[in-house]
Amino acid sequence: MQEHQRTLEEKVYKSNNHYSVTKIIKDSLNGYAKSFYLAKQLASRDIKALYRQSLLGFFWAIAPVIMNAAVWIFLQSTGTVRLSDTGIPYPVFVILGTTFWILISECLLLPTETINANKSIITKINFHKEALITLGILKLGFNLLIKLGLVVVFLCIFKILPSASILFFIPVLLFTVIAFVSIGTIISPIGVLYNDIGKALPIAMQLLMYVTPVVYAVPKSGIMKLLMSWNPLSYIIINIRNSLTGGSVDVLFIVLLGIAAIVLALIAMLIYRIAMPVITERMSA
Amino acid sequence: MGEVLIKAENVSKKFAKDFKRSLYYGVKDVFSKVSGGERKKELRKTEFWAVKDVSFEVKRGECLGLIGHNGAGKSTLLKMLNGLIAPDEGSITMRGKIGALIELGAGFNPILTGRENIYNNASVLGFTKEEVNKKFDSIVEFSEIGEFLDMPVQNYSSGMKVRLGFAVAAQMEPDILLIDEVLAVGDMGFVLKCFKRIDEILPHTAVIFVSHSMPMVSRICTQITLMNKGVIQYYGVDVGKGIDSYYQHFSAGENAYEVYSNQTLKFISASVKDRNIEGGNFIIGWNEDVEMIFNLQVLQPLLSPLCSIAIYNQEQRGIAESKTTISLDIEDEQYFKNDTLIIKMSTKKLSLSKGIYSITLNISDKKSSSPILKINNALNIQVTNAAQTWTSYLLDIDTVISKSKI
Repeated sequence: MQEHQRTLEEKVYKSNNHYSVTKIIKDSLNGYAKSFYLAKQLASRDIKALYRQSLLGFFWAIAPVIMNAAVWIFLQSTGTVRLSDTGIPYPVFVILGTTFWILISECLLLPTETINANKSIITKINFHKEALITLGILKLGFNLLIKLGLVVVFLCIFKILPSASILFFIPVLLFTVIAFVSIGTIISPIGVLYNDIGKALPIAMQLLMYVTPVVYAVPKSGIMKLLMSWNPLSYIIINIRNSLTGGSVDVLFIVLLGIAAIVLALIAMLIYRIAMPVITERMSA
Repeated sequence: MGEVLIKAENVSKKFAKDFKRSLYYGVKDVFSKVSGGERKKELRKTEFWAVKDVSFEVKRGECLGLIGHNGAGKSTLLKMLNGLIAPDEGSITMRGKIGALIELGAGFNPILTGRENIYNNASVLGFTKEEVNKKFDSIVEFSEIGEFLDMPVQNYSSGMKVRLGFAVAAQMEPDILLIDEVLAVGDMGFVLKCFKRIDEILPHTAVIFVSHSMPMVSRICTQITLMNKGVIQYYGVDVGKGIDSYYQHFSAGENAYEVYSNQTLKFISASVKDRNIEGGNFIIGWNEDVEMIFNLQVLQPLLSPLCSIAIYNQEQRGIAESKTTISLDIEDEQYFKNDTLIIKMSTKKLSLSKGIYSITLNISDKKSSSPILKINNALNIQVTNAAQTWTSYLLDIDTVISKSKI
């Protein structure tokens, strides 16, 4: 038999009411790093399985965007609804707005959905649960690439040339994803235990869409202008859209968004690490 | 052999019986944990101790059998040992790399092929891609699924899935191995192969083995913990003793049950001559002579009936029957109302193997052979012996091996 001279890693499990924030954040970062291969493997498993059992494949990733955009393009072009000037061709405006609006909704639900989809391994196998968040983000990123393809096609058709502000596209997108996945992670403990969250969020997002410049621009005046100016989501959508279409971007806002994203991410790591064992014991095996 | 790898000290865990309350407590616990507030130790409404004050330790090279009836707290304890859920009280110290054979084939996607799922399962178990590439051939070889490797796993038989799952898990080289009832499926040949692998791992690993199969437990365990309703009922190195008390639980409270009666006879009592009763079972040593006595009350006059017994094992499977007990040439005796009918049945060298058996009594009319009375569990016996066997009979056989010269 081989000699076991190496030092053994010691794990102590006990009921703990006192914890060190820095240690948990460190453990969490370590968890993300160590579980990357697992997350990648599971992401490729899910994506392969999804497309192997589908005829239209990639189409389903862009179908919601096309549907929503088509409805609004139709309403606008037939004069059914009269909308304030968007500055850029309306179809581009709507496609960009809906793409990133749907992205935000997906980010919020991502942690809860990924945890629910992987219940069977969570209750049986001990692995770094951070892998699930990475898994969700990888799948989201894959879908996003397909959608960005659609966006590029539209930008080309309408011959919209980006300006230097396109440099801000990647940071805004990244901060947005981090911020909303973090918010999603923070609410996931409740979302996993009670499925009310999963039902309420899409409805709330549907409503919120109408007070955000997603399918129409901010009006010049009136109560809608006030509501939109109070809605932080408006600035995210406006900045992402402008960064692609050569409009002006608000650098200060992007910096603030970045800071918010980091703070939210740290809180999310902490809550996720602490909440996972508690959720596991309430989950059906 | 030597250092302690698993140490559980006064481990307790509570659960709520009510689902809504369980969710509510869950949310509350998350909040109180995050805010660092004190968590109440005592039971809240509808809560109970699923595991209470459990302590044991396992050294390298030892195997602890964890047995108990359904709901005894074994799985909960195992989840705590595996680090999936935290104890509410006490602490668990685990030293070294932990491997768990709790769910075989975790991470499988039914649509993907066996080949792809090997990578999925291995990554869930914590292998790196390089490790899987290196071990891929031995996994395929161990699983014996060869030609079906590129078929979707959903078309596999359950046995094939288990084999593939075990083949991946068998590549682990843990310091601590947790095994839960995973070997129940699969054919005998494969189970033996799994045991061979476990035997290889055993000498340099601390193992916790959860099972309902006592032959398996006695085969590999060096010490045993019998749990009942969350508490330890027996903990020690006498594996046989632990198994005996596990078996006793089955029969306790199980009473004679009248399956059929034509109201001619009424069952009163049954016993084994000169044997002690313990937990409802008459204790008999292996290969001893046994005399069973059944007492019945006569309700309607009758002639000497035919009597026979059948023996059932723990799983309620019939394993033996008696031949007709009263020889036909004996002159019939007439029994009258309120007489007591006494049936004595004796057998030489009863070679049932270690375990608990229940005896069914059948009485029928001699002439028409129509049934008069059938009593299930008329008598419970427990056969004690050192050797634990897989089957119900441990035959007393003399074996001679010789060489014949050509």
